[in-house]
Amino acid sequence: MTTLEKQITKEIEDNAELREQLKKLVLARTQAMPNSLGIVIGSDKITREEMVQHVQQEDEIGKQIMELQLEFLRDLATGAIYTNE
Amino acid sequence: MSKSVLITRPNHDLTTTYLSAWARKIAEIAQEKGFFIYDLEGVRANVKTFLSFLKEKSPSFLFLNGHGSPSEICGQRNEVIMDSTTEIPGAIIYARSCSAGIRLGEEAIKNGARAFIGYARNFIVGYSPDKVFEPLTDDMASLFLDPSNLVASVIIKGHSAAEANTRSKEAMYKNFRKMILSTATYEERYASQWLWSNLKGQILLGDPDAKI
Repeated sequence: MTTLEKQITKEIEDNAELREQLKKLVLARTQAMPNSLGIVIGSDKITREEMVQHVQQEDEIGKQIMELQLEFLRDLATGAIYTNE
Repeated sequence: MSKSVLITRPNHDLTTTYLSAWARKIAEIAQEKGFFIYDLEGVRANVKTFLSFLKEKSPSFLFLNGHGSPSEICGQRNEVIMDSTTEIPGAIIYARSCSAGIRLGEEAIKNGARAFIGYARNFIVGYSPDKVFEPLTDDMASLFLDPSNLVASVIIKGHSAAEANTRSKEAMYKNFRKMILSTATYEERYASQWLWSNLKGQILLGDPDAKI
């Protein structure tokens, strides 16, 4: 994790309001998952509805779904996905 | 040490069925290259058989498919086949298992493995629900599993662990770039974030120059 990523992660952890906004964003993105796509994450095959539940409950899988979506959005914003850094 | 490959291929659920189908391709490549292959498929992916082959055959490369955690890798029906006490002297390991790169990889190096390639987070596979009975025809899953297969095939072809890791990541990134293009399907664009997560989570521990 880069210094910038660490700063952003800490800011999210420390700011409950920001965390709640991000959760809403992740929920909206999760609900946009097409039915014609499946995902296995860890040992679980999960549906879109189950993903939404995991995120709402903020359990282990829910946290990972949030983290990977936020990581992706962060890397999109910083341009990292275009340079593979 | 014999020039040999030990592959674990549990197949008791959707995830392991997909991993097993793709791992079979590696068994075929290894066979073409003249390796001894110890292919522990299905119920043969159990701790007793696994440890027995490790001890008696000393395979030079271990390709482990199955569920995992920071502290263990599982076989059929999630029986733990490898943990921090498993000794693997001199072998290169590729663990296509969740999270084993967090702790177990370092422990495997301490226990004698020369190199360990794995994942420091959950390994994700996107798939097409209408292809689950014919995994190898699933184009979505191939975007995830073909690049990961490269780790094993590059090692079998005699290249270093570092090269295997790099070439696999390059292939993942190539697929990722394809998936975010406007010409990609909606499913591919949606699943691109999952492949990005695998790419960022794949790690190499131990000797990067290790070869079999």
